[in-house]
Amino acid sequence: MKDSCSSISRLLEKYFDRETTVDERNLVQDHLRQCAACQAQLKSMEELRATLRSPVDEAVKEETFAWVWQKIEREIQTREKPSWQESIRAWFGLSFPFRRRVWIPAVAAALLIVAIGSPLLFKETPSQTELSIVEYVQSDTNNVMVFESEKENVAIIWLFEATEGEPST
Amino acid sequence: MGHEEADLISRCQMGDQAAMKEIFDEYRDKVYRVAYGVVRHREEAMDIVQEVFVKLFLTIGNFKGKSSFYTYVYRTAMNTAIDHVRKLKKSTSLSFEDDAERYLSDGPEKRPDQVAMDKELEEKVKGALAKLPDDQRAAIIFREVEGLSYQEMAKAMDCSMGTVMSRLHYGRKKLQQLLRGYVKEGGKT
Repeated sequence: MKDSCSSISRLLEKYFDRETTVDERNLVQDHLRQCAACQAQLKSMEELRATLRSPVDEAVKEETFAWVWQKIEREIQTREKPSWQESIRAWFGLSFPFRRRVWIPAVAAALLIVAIGSPLLFKETPSQTELSIVEYVQSDTNNVMVFESEKENVAIIWLFEATEGEPST
Repeated sequence: MGHEEADLISRCQMGDQAAMKEIFDEYRDKVYRVAYGVVRHREEAMDIVQEVFVKLFLTIGNFKGKSSFYTYVYRTAMNTAIDHVRKLKKSTSLSFEDDAERYLSDGPEKRPDQVAMDKELEEKVKGALAKLPDDQRAAIIFREVEGLSYQEMAKAMDCSMGTVMSRLHYGRKKLQQLLRGYVKEGGKT
C-alpha cells in the first residue's frame, strides 16, 4: 500500500458509491492504476455488496404480493374506526387538518340555525286537555257536573244553581 | 414529492382503498428489500411488509408532507424490521432451517451443493448483520441492498451525510472482518 492510500481510502468508498465529484473520481482512478491494495479493497467492497444484495434480488423476484395485500386490506378494515372528527374532516374533504377554512362558515351557519330555531323549539305550547263529563247530578236547587281529564288525571267538579227558567228534567 | 403522489396520499388519508393499493404496489418491493435485508428470512420479511403497510395506512393522517413520502416509508420499514429482530432476539432466535426447504424448492436449477453453500453464506451474513449496531446495519442495508444515495440515506436516517459515510465505513469494515473467508478482505484502510 502506498503512502497516499490513507488519504484516498475515504474517497475510495465515495468512488465505489458513485458519490465523487469529477475531480475526485479522476484522482481515485489515477491512484487505482498504480495501487494493487486499493484495487483489492474495491474488489472486496464489490463482493460484500453482491453477497448482501443477490439473495434479496432473488427473493423479491419470487415473491407474490397479492395475498399480502388482501391481509393488509382486511386488517385495515377491522382496525380502522375513524373518530367523529375524522369523519367530519373527510366529509369536508380536508386532507390536511384545517388546511382549508371551510369549517368556519359551516360552523357559523350551524350556530345561526340553532340561534333562530331554539326559541321556536323551546316555546311552550298550550296543551289541549280533553275533558269528559263523567257525572251529572240534578237537584231542585243545585246542579253538579263532574269533568275528568284523561291526560292529566284531573277531576273538575262544577256546582251551579239551577235557574228559575230552566226546565227541570 | 410530486403532485400525483401528493394527491394519492391525500386520497389515502380519506380512506380510499384504491389509492392505498397504488401506494402498496409502488412501495412493496422497496419495503420487502429493506425487510429481507435485515431479517434474511422470507416469511419474516413478508410479515414485516404487512406490518409496515398497516402501520403506514393507519397513521397516514399524521403525514404532513414536510419530508418526502419515500423517506417516510423507508424509515418506517427500517424501524419496523429492526424492532422485529429485537423482539425475536428476546423471545427466540430465528432458525434459518425454516427457509432451507424453500431454498431447495425455489431453485431447481441450482445444484444441491450450491444450495447448501448459499444457505451457509446467507446464515453467516445474517449473523454478521445482527452483530452490527442498528445505525450501521441500517446504513449498510440502505446503501448495499437498496442502493440509496448518501443524501437519501441522510434523510431516511435523519442525520448528516458525514454521519452516513462514517456509519457505512465502519459497517463495511466490521462486516468484512466478520465474513472473512466468505468475502475477501481488502487492503488496510
